[in-house]
Amino acid sequence: MIRILVNNLKPGMKLAQPVQSESGMVLLPEGTELAFSGIERLNAMGINSVMIEGTKSKSKEEVLEEIEARFKKTENEKNMDMLKRLLIEHINELYK
Amino acid sequence: MKFDIKTLQAEIGKIDTIPTIPAIFKKMLAILENPKTSLSEISNFISNDPVLTSRVLKMVNSAVYGFPGRISSINQALLLLGLNAVRGLLLGISVFEAMQKTMLGLWDHALGTAIAGRIFATKKNLAEPDDVFVAALLHDIGKVILSLKFPADYQNVIQKVKEENLFIFEAEIEIFGITHADAGAWIAQKWNFPRNLIEAIEYHHRPELSKNVPMNTAVVHLADIFTRARGHGFAGDNFIPAINLHAWDRLNFSESDIREIFVQMEDSLQASESFSFSDE
Repeated sequence: MIRILVNNLKPGMKLAQPVQSESGMVLLPEGTELAFSGIERLNAMGINSVMIEGTKSKSKEEVLEEIEARFKKTENEKNMDMLKRLLIEHINELYK
Repeated sequence: MKFDIKTLQAEIGKIDTIPTIPAIFKKMLAILENPKTSLSEISNFISNDPVLTSRVLKMVNSAVYGFPGRISSINQALLLLGLNAVRGLLLGISVFEAMQKTMLGLWDHALGTAIAGRIFATKKNLAEPDDVFVAALLHDIGKVILSLKFPADYQNVIQKVKEENLFIFEAEIEIFGITHADAGAWIAQKWNFPRNLIEAIEYHHRPELSKNVPMNTAVVHLADIFTRARGHGFAGDNFIPAINLHAWDRLNFSESDIREIFVQMEDSLQASESFSFSDE
């Protein structure tokens, strides 16, 4: 989790903490994936910086879950099963 | 809504420069597209621009490129890498900001693909691994171009990808009637990139169509897939395209080759994670 200036935000970054107004009202909840429009709104509201997810490295389980999801569309295509199997072996080896 | 292809091509053809580095980029293209440009001309051109100089040196001295800490001048870089490699490298590093702005993770995807491409090329003993590196670095330039020229429509592409779980090229076809590979090839033609580079960009999703550089194109195609499979960077969608069988047969990797490739990629990708020009 890192603090990033609103000026440096890029679409796709995820809020690690909710953005609140001065009165404590939640403007954007934790976990919001920022789009161009969201970043512009933060700017318009005069917010200077927000906490963004990232920097923490992923656990092996997370990495394997993501691989499952990524291969979903094409794992039945030729050679993709092999690529997936070898990649999973590689990840298991990496996290030993 | 679909665009008329002719109009689209004309609009893209008007792009003379990438906005983040306009002046130098235009001048650089003029120098790069002239086949008679000499080694010393190009060396002077780079050396006269501190930003370009520092980027070339940073890139060639990084673990990514393979001469860690050994190259201290542009002349030395040109001698070690050769004119063509430095030409391509210049094109690649010029689009860094534009990639960063287009989508979070696109530069990492491009650099990851370039790294994987070089590993494949070396494994296959290809004559020009640097050409492969550059083609891989620039293979998604069309995404930059489409989103520069049609930001709102490209935002719709991204949205569609998310909502309908599409590949990015599927959403591009639905919105534009063309893909980033087409847009990339048009701009590469317009900017007089070398024919071989245009072909690798144009056919990285259909490598069987590459006539002049089928091997390089096959490498870029597979390097793209391996980089996505490993989850390095973000290319606009969260799925891995199917391996093209022509490309697969052409490279003919064994299971043990693939194991080795994943290990080699891991080292270089980690080195590249901290690699950026934004702290200049």
